[in-house]
Amino acid sequence: MNKAMSKVFIVSVVLFVALVVNLTWIMVVRAQWFQDRPQNKRSIAKEMKIKRGDIIGYDGSVIAGTERRSGYYYRDYPNGTLAPQLVGYDSIRYGRSGIEAQLNDELTGQSSDLGVQNWVDKLLGRRPKGANVKVTLVPAVQKVAQQQLQGQKGAIVLLDPKTGALIASASAPTYDPANLEDQWARLIKDTSAPLLNRPTQGLYVPGSAFKVVTASAGLDTGKVTPDTQFVDTGTYVVFGGKVTNYGGEVYGPNNFTYALTASINTTFAKVGNTLGRKRLIAGAQQYGFYQTPPLPLPAGEIVASGRYGKKGLLSPDAFMDPLDVAWAACGQEKLLATPLQMALVAGGVANGGRVMKPYYLQEIVTSEGQVVSKAQPEQWQVATKALTADQLNTMMQNVVNAGTGTAAALEGIQVAGKTGTAEKGDGTNLAWFIGFAPAEDPQVCIAVVIEDTQSTGGEAAAPLAAAVIKTALAQPALP
Amino acid sequence: MSRRNLELGFLVLAGAVSTMAYVSVYTGRFREINRISIIYGLVFVGIFVLLHLLERIFLPQADPFLLPITALLAAIGLTEIFRIKPSLALVQGQWLLVGAGLFVLTVLIVRDHMKLDRYRYLIGAVGLALLVATIVIGTTINGAKLWIHAFGFSIQPSEFAKLAIVIFLAGYLDDKKVMLSVPQRHVLGVPVPAFKYFGPLLVMWVLSLAMLVFMKDFGMALLFMSIFVGLMYMATARVVYVVAGAGLFAAAGAIAVYIVPHVQDRFEVWLNPWPYASTTGYQLLQSLFTIADGGVVGAGFGRGYLLFPDRTPVVPDLQTDFIFTAVANEMGLLGAAGIVLVYLLFVWRGFRIAVYAPDGFSKLLAAGLATAFAIQTFIIIGGVTRLIPLTGITLPFVSYGGSSITANLMLVALLLMVSNRTNIIRGGSDLERRKLAEKG
Repeated sequence: MNKAMSKVFIVSVVLFVALVVNLTWIMVVRAQWFQDRPQNKRSIAKEMKIKRGDIIGYDGSVIAGTERRSGYYYRDYPNGTLAPQLVGYDSIRYGRSGIEAQLNDELTGQSSDLGVQNWVDKLLGRRPKGANVKVTLVPAVQKVAQQQLQGQKGAIVLLDPKTGALIASASAPTYDPANLEDQWARLIKDTSAPLLNRPTQGLYVPGSAFKVVTASAGLDTGKVTPDTQFVDTGTYVVFGGKVTNYGGEVYGPNNFTYALTASINTTFAKVGNTLGRKRLIAGAQQYGFYQTPPLPLPAGEIVASGRYGKKGLLSPDAFMDPLDVAWAACGQEKLLATPLQMALVAGGVANGGRVMKPYYLQEIVTSEGQVVSKAQPEQWQVATKALTADQLNTMMQNVVNAGTGTAAALEGIQVAGKTGTAEKGDGTNLAWFIGFAPAEDPQVCIAVVIEDTQSTGGEAAAPLAAAVIKTALAQPALP
Repeated sequence: MSRRNLELGFLVLAGAVSTMAYVSVYTGRFREINRISIIYGLVFVGIFVLLHLLERIFLPQADPFLLPITALLAAIGLTEIFRIKPSLALVQGQWLLVGAGLFVLTVLIVRDHMKLDRYRYLIGAVGLALLVATIVIGTTINGAKLWIHAFGFSIQPSEFAKLAIVIFLAGYLDDKKVMLSVPQRHVLGVPVPAFKYFGPLLVMWVLSLAMLVFMKDFGMALLFMSIFVGLMYMATARVVYVVAGAGLFAAAGAIAVYIVPHVQDRFEVWLNPWPYASTTGYQLLQSLFTIADGGVVGAGFGRGYLLFPDRTPVVPDLQTDFIFTAVANEMGLLGAAGIVLVYLLFVWRGFRIAVYAPDGFSKLLAAGLATAFAIQTFIIIGGVTRLIPLTGITLPFVSYGGSSITANLMLVALLLMVSNRTNIIRGGSDLERRKLAEKG
């Protein structure tokens, strides 16, 4: 009996030694590895002892400030919740998103390029002070964009086409980042996805709004001119299938300018097949499709536009038959685009064919008031020749003056744009408007998308664009 | 030095360590220091001084290590619970008082553990009844059915059933060990003892399986199976029981993984917690992060990051199943490994008592209790560190929980009684021998 008991004791010893070995493994060998896991939110609590830098709007008002409670700094939002999906949340339990995550090192003063004082603090082991981040969002415009979306699902993105500065980025439904802990369980279950940053993460069928891209490729390659004549019979038969017009309309003879004004599918399908798959897709790539737009956001919070298959973004070289090309030229088929990308399409046309790199970071100011980083507008893509951009500009003015986009027209300001209405097959539409203003010297470009609506892009999206553009152009200063 | 004076010395040592821990928590959260906390510490010291005095009178030759270890672990537990949620420490302190009362009653009523052997079937039946009652009228908390609500308290009967089953098995196996060691016939070349001796043990196996399926509790099932297999082996020295027991339990475990979703979740999370980081694997991963954060020396009692700013624990159930996580975070590897070694010291004393005991029943009783204690400790520390699948079971003396601390104090009382009897028979004074004889 004693021998057996000794053996059982030895087994116990072995088990306990295994515990100690495993503890050593976790607490010493792999300790840093565990610290570095993205699921590990423990460092957030330590960082919440640091006075976090403010996120400041373009007009100098505070979008996200801090409030100190029992030794920890919490975010507060003195001017209401502005662009919470882009600005992001900062939660001790659920981590961070958006700009809060992207610029965390700067906001917590841990970045290595925050000036001499910060560097000295670090050497002396002092708790760093966060730097303030000034963004290009203009609160007055952002507020109107959010109001316009209230009660609906969708997104509005407004940029300066000449610099790429993001002036407004609204996503609906929205949420309150101030009380995230209490809402989290509901928010992650909500099928209307309030946490999703629709302008950069929402992938939508672009519909007729994409016709700007098709037209651009057609004009740029010389395959069509604004005056090229077409005849619409209501149906374009191709490769064993057919392309029809929205609402079953028949337009008869039309030129290319009128085809964009009235959004004639059959004409764009024909142009698409004249271009062929390669030139059509290349035209889209010139506007930035198939690339993740270079707006600095955490991985997954900004996605590329293009043709999507079951496993995500398809290669630009993926096979398309002529019927696919015909529908893709009308913005259907497997095409998906983010509102940001569609705003950049309008911006490319507005800026004489050059798409600027989108950005939201105006400047970083250290706690000592030193500006350590300032926005430098850069060109991103050359989308078209200047002449093509001019022609498209005129054609898009026509859309607002005499076509599907009349609801976007403004008194005394020439707006140019293009509507889109993608039928979802369940009786609801996806309504689009993309455009820019003033057409002769564009200051802003915009994309509006409304989900689950009974109306068309001209009815549901164009008036919202008009309201936001009007507010933006009335601002004393834009980035 | 006499055993009791040695014990007193160790108790003073444990008291010194505990006081430092308390002071560290207080200074870490100085805003909360108050008179009640000090009275509290004095009550704690008082309890163990009384238990020590009780031993001086009734168990003069009992092992001098067990009570100081108990005091040290209970003090660390109370300190950590106080640090996590002060109001719970007050409740736990009351449970410690109840446990101490049961300790005293066990010593005074039982007097000599040899008496227990006479009532083994009754005790075994009570243990069985407790488990069956849990299955029938128990309440499910955190997916496992372990609690009975009665008289305004939540009782975890399996903690007490553990003691009853060990007493029963020690008596039963001591009686039948010869029969069980001699195979009556062979099945496929494997020696098998007669069914009538083997039968009750099959009942035990079915019981473990039932615990797994109905109580959905892998930990308790594993604990009971280990007690049972361990005692079978120690009684008969036949490895075949270990192999058969392990095989049967593995089979039962495999079945449970397939048919009990709660057990399945735990198993999947154990294999790979990362995909479940925000759902079923949240608790385990937060535990690992919290332990890893402890480093070599830890931040010190009251100084680790264990609570969110709203004072909820960073790991759900931190004060109960995950108390070791809290200790490891604040005391570091040195402290965590130290605690494991303190548990091992307890287990060593348990087996030492068993080896020196003069009779089979005493041997099996002490060894069974030591095995139960060792396995329970291993299951929960291994669980929160992802060495084995996580299962809700308390860390003896440290975890928050009334049933656990009272049952384990009774376990200590039983071990002390066995060691007292052994030491008196092996070298006590005539007076002590006479007293012992009177008890029986």
